[in-house]
Order: sequence, then structure tokens, then C-alpha cells
Amino acid sequence: MAVPLATPKFSLRLSGVGKRYGDFVAVGDLSFEAPTGVVYGLLGPNGAGKTTTLRMINNIIMPDSGSIELLGKLRPGPAAAKHIGYLPEERGLYPKMKVRETLAFFGSLRGLRGKEATRQADVWLERLKLSDWHGNNVQDLSKGMQQKVQFAAALIHDPDLLILDEPWSGLDPINAEVLKDIVSAQKDAGKTILFSTHLMEQAEHLCDHVCIMAKGRKAVEGPLDELKREAAAEGLIMLAFRTSEDEARARTEVLVQPLVESIRGERDGLLVQLAEGGDSDKLLAELVAANLGIRRFERQQATLHQIFVSRVGAMADAEQEGRLADD
Amino acid sequence: MPSKKGDSPMTRQAFIIARREFLERVRNKWFAIVTILGPIGMIAAIVLPAYLSVRSVQEGFHVQVVDRSERDVAGMMDIELDARGVAFKIEKVPPETDLAVLEKRIRDEQIDGYLVFPKDVLTGGKVIYRGDNATNMLVTKGLSSLVDFAIFRTRGKDMGLAELQIANLFQKVEFESKQTTGQGEATSGTASFVVGYAVMFVLYIAILLYGVAVLRSVIQEKNNRVVEIMVSSVRPISLMLGKVIGVGCVGLLQLTLWGMMAALIITFREEVLGLFGIPGAGAFELPSLGAADFAIILIYFFLGYFFYAALYAAIGAMVNSEQEAQQAQTPVMLMLIIPVLCVQIVAGDPRGGVAEVLTQIPFASPVLMPMRFLLDAASTAEILASIGILLVSLFGAVLLAAKVYRVGILSYGKKPSFREVWSWIRS
Repeated sequence: MAVPLATPKFSLRLSGVGKRYGDFVAVGDLSFEAPTGVVYGLLGPNGAGKTTTLRMINNIIMPDSGSIELLGKLRPGPAAAKHIGYLPEERGLYPKMKVRETLAFFGSLRGLRGKEATRQADVWLERLKLSDWHGNNVQDLSKGMQQKVQFAAALIHDPDLLILDEPWSGLDPINAEVLKDIVSAQKDAGKTILFSTHLMEQAEHLCDHVCIMAKGRKAVEGPLDELKREAAAEGLIMLAFRTSEDEARARTEVLVQPLVESIRGERDGLLVQLAEGGDSDKLLAELVAANLGIRRFERQQATLHQIFVSRVGAMADAEQEGRLADD
Repeated sequence: MPSKKGDSPMTRQAFIIARREFLERVRNKWFAIVTILGPIGMIAAIVLPAYLSVRSVQEGFHVQVVDRSERDVAGMMDIELDARGVAFKIEKVPPETDLAVLEKRIRDEQIDGYLVFPKDVLTGGKVIYRGDNATNMLVTKGLSSLVDFAIFRTRGKDMGLAELQIANLFQKVEFESKQTTGQGEATSGTASFVVGYAVMFVLYIAILLYGVAVLRSVIQEKNNRVVEIMVSSVRPISLMLGKVIGVGCVGLLQLTLWGMMAALIITFREEVLGLFGIPGAGAFELPSLGAADFAIILIYFFLGYFFYAALYAAIGAMVNSEQEAQQAQTPVMLMLIIPVLCVQIVAGDPRGGVAEVLTQIPFASPVLMPMRFLLDAASTAEILASIGILLVSLFGAVLLAAKVYRVGILSYGKKPSFREVWSWIRS
């Protein structure tokens, strides 16, 4: 059995980590910390550098610069691997190996001793309702069952840090539920979970902390609540009027520059983005003064999706401007 | 580091990986099939030639003779027809027979071939045999000795020798060659060669077979994407060594099983031949292999296998598919085939300078040295030197392969150029 570690404040700390392939910067100067016991989402579009980052944490590739600290003072490597569970995006098992032996094999590679590995394999097979299949070759299992075996292979050695790379890719709804349960169970047990995804809704339900990446760099990072509050403070308001005449009048008379930056029609109203320095109280006062029938006026918490679009979009814009300035 | 460093050492992980490779292969039904088919092949190798030669001797060959010498040289042939164990049915046809007729008889399978004695056959004219069995060495040698005998007898008669004198002159000379270097016991030269050659061939096949097995195992691990979990759990060198050792143990097990079966078959070869209705006759005597011989064979197998398997592992890490591997493994294949092509040199003059040099070259010695040892031609010092050189090269090959492996194992997509591979080695 792996020797239990004293609980450190951070399960993972990246400082100035960079990786380039020739002229292409896969990850540039990336720093973030995942506190112990949180569900941490590494978010970003495809090609943002998420997988490269996770591979560096798992000692599969070496960073060109910076440092990675795991579970206190461990560096990426076989010693750290005993405390880490890893589910790569590219999943794979040995097709001609028996299910139970597969689990025991990965368990023993990550530090479990002979009998303990087999015992834990049985525990996980039971838990994932695969006990009847323990003697079958992996290739005899359905794809869904193989995915469960994958989860178990990542968890059999009871890791303190669970790393999942795009865990929902290729999962059927049932296994997506299974995965969700596993993540909450791990969290309840005080473990840290780090996963990458480009699916903002999944992340929004699960994450305590997020780091949004784009083009190999960090766009924004922090506890999800805080990020949402900040976004709200930035002046996003949901408005609804009594009649469509009221709404039309508001659009032409009140919801205009310099007070309002943009308006987007939603199912149950208008989502109004105030202009920079815009004041929601002032907007309300003007609406009242114009004698408009208001049904709803609500400061909005931004969804993760909105934060993502605005931050990554802002980065793209900044880059665009930078490029124009260079020309 | 919170845990002891020895908690999960490289060797333990390599052992776990080796055990997996070993079990997966040994449990595979193909292992059982090949292990059993091997001895069947060996039995076939002993029985078939014996069976075929018995058959053709019994059937004999039908040869017609066109004798244009006007001296009835062909008539002298039918006195001694048992030539080198091959039975011939010699039949004279008129000298004016059209050769096209004889060709047609061959086509129609009425005869196996025909001999033509020219007019000046006694003074150096060339005798020509045409037949569907002219590629058979036993046939051409047998016919040649029959023709020789007929012509020498005719010439003897022309000189006025009596029949008895001629018989004395051509009485058969017994001749046998034995292999010795003055130290080992002398066995039949042919038998020593057969055993030496067989051992060389088995080593070549085994090293190739299991080297390629390592190559395929690496590629499969890449293709089914297990490699990412593996590399995140263990050092690439543990992964590589585990694979090489695991597959190597399978090879060792199979070779040992085959060796035991071969020993049984050779010991009871007369009974085996008897099963097929062939008189054993003890026609061939094989030198027995001692414990030292087996030790040398196994040592060279293991070292040679390790050397080549490391190179094959590196190639597996460099490529993405078996098709690509076909091409990339050519240099390693050549390294292994060249010594096999040199086998005649070593067998022909096992104590010669070329043999001495060849059996010290690390990529050739695993295949050639055991053969030279079996021919009693290698001194202890030479064997130790060759094992030493092989060990050092093995170490180098493993280091080099580990470097290529470490970088290559995770590269999917395009095949790396030679320049890239070189930069991996230097990094």
C-alpha cells in the first residue's frame, strides 16, 4: 500500500510551466493551484493545451520550463504516480487480458502489493456491477463495460489526486452518471479531482474551481462562485416587460449607448450588458422614469459558458489587436 | 519524498510487466500449437527425407541410352547398376533414334531421362544426360559414376586387361570423414555439421521470432493506447525491459521444451522411423549434446535475443503500424541475416581467421559461436571474450534503445526522420 501522505494545502501546484514543439507553444507560462479536496476543472476549447498540461502532470512529457508540485513535495514520476489516478483521453486496455487481472495489474503498477491488488480489483468489480465478468477477456466486454473497467483501473489504488482527461468523451448517459457518482464519492472522501473538458455545462455542475485556458495560456482562474460573482458585478441584467410595446419603447429610448453595451433576446426576456462603468441602479431609475411596465429586473450571475465565451473571446480580441498593432 | 525510494523500484515494476507479457503469451493457444507443431516439424525433418529417399530408391529411375560410339559402351553399364544407393533401369535404344522421340517420352513420363554417348566418347567426347531429374544430385552423381565405370572398362579392355584385373582396378574404396580439432571426440564430419547447422538455425529463428514479438507488442500497446497509462505509471526503461524479459522468458521456455522433445526424438529416432514403416538402419549417427553445449546455446540465445529485442523495441517505438515496421526493421534484419549467410565460412573452416573474427562480432556471435563451439573449434578464452563483447554491446544497445523508446513511444502520427531519431538518442 502507498504510504498515506500528510494532507497538504494544495494537491497540485504549477509554476510557470511551459511546453513548446518547435515554434508552436503548446503551453506557455502556466501557473495554478488546486487546493486539496476540490473538484478542479481545466477548461478550454480544443487545442488550448489541456491535454499537454495533464500529460506533464503525469510525467508523460517533460515541461521545458517551470515546475510541478504534487501532493506536497512530489515531482511528476513513478513515486507520485502511486498517489495519482489517471484516466487519459485516449483510453485503452489490453484486449486479451482478463478483467480482474487487468485491474490487479494496474493496481500493482501503482503500488498495490499482490493480494491487495486482487482484493481491490474485486471490490471495484462489485461496485461497478461487473463481478460476473471478472474472468472474461477485456475484448469480450461491451464498450460501456470497458469504460467502467477504465474508471476502476484509474481508482483501484485509492489515489489522493484523480486526473481525468475529457472524461465525458465517448461516454453513454449511464456511464456519465457513474462517473459523476465516482467524482462525488471521491470528493466526499476528501480527495482532489482534476479534470479537463470543453463541456461547460458538465463543468458548471461539478467544479469548485476552474482554470480556463486558451491557446496554451491561462485566461482566468479561481473558485467558480467568485468568478460568477465577478461576472455579475460586471453588469449583466435580465429584463422583462409587461407588453411588447413597452419592450420596443425601452429598446429605442433607454437601452442605448452610453448606458448599455449590448442586448440579447432570450426566451424569457432581454439579457442586457451594461456599458463599462454602467450602473444598474441608474438603468432602473431611467426605466421607471420612462414609465415602462417592468415584469422582471434581475442582476444576473453569469453562466460558466458566458464567462468562458467572454474571457476566451477577450483573449482572442486582444491577440487580434496585438497583431494589428504589430503590422 | 514521503515514501521510501525502494517502495516501488524500477525492478519491481519491470517484473510486473514481464509477468504480464509472459502469462499473456503462454496462455495463448498459439503458444501451445507452436510448441507442439515444432517437434512435429522436427519429426518431419527426420522422417520425410528418409522416406523419400527410400521411395525413390525402391522405384528407381528409368533411363534410356543412345550409344553412338559404335563400341557398345552402354553395354558395359548394366553390370553395376547399384550406384550410390539409387536404382536405375538402364535401357539401350538404337543409336539412330531421334532425340525428339526421347523428349516426347519424357513428356509422357514413360522415361525419366536419356543419355547420349557421342562417337568419340572414349577419347574425350562429352556424355550428356537430359532428364526431369537432372537437378537431383544423387541421380547425376550416380549416373556419372556408372558412365565413368563403363568407359574405364571399355578402355581397360582396349588395353588388353583381363576382366579380373579390371575388377581389381575399380574395386570400391571406402572413405569416411570425421570432424576433430585434436581435443574433442571425433564424430562424423557430416553429423557435426548437421547438428551445428541445426543449432545455428534454431537460434536464428528464435531470436528473429521473439525479437519481432517484442516489436509487435510495442506497436500493439501504442495502437490500443494503453501506453499512456503505462508511461504515466512506470519509467519507459522499466516498460521496455519488462517487455523484453517477459517475451524472452517465453522464448526460453519454448526452446527448453523443444530441446527436451528433440532429445527424446533423436534418442528414439529408430522407433520413430519404424512407426512410419521405414527401416531405421542406424544410417546416421548424431553427436550427443552435453550440458556444456546446452549451456552455451542458452547463454547465446539469451544474450543475442536481448541485444536484438532491445533494437526491435526501439523500432517499435519509432513506428505507428506493422506496415511501417516492415520497412524500419530492415537494418536489424540484415544484421541478423548476414551472419546466417556466413555460416558456410564458419562451418567450412571453424578454426580459420574469418570464423574467429565473425564469432567475436556482437551481432553475429549469438548465431555463429554456438555452432563453432559444437564443432569443437572455439577455445574457452575466445568464448569468454565473445560473451564479454556481446555483454558490453548489449548494454549499449539497451541504453540506446531506451532513449529512442522513451521519446518514440508517445509519438503518434508521422514516422520520425532519421535526423529526429538521432536527436532523441543525443538528448
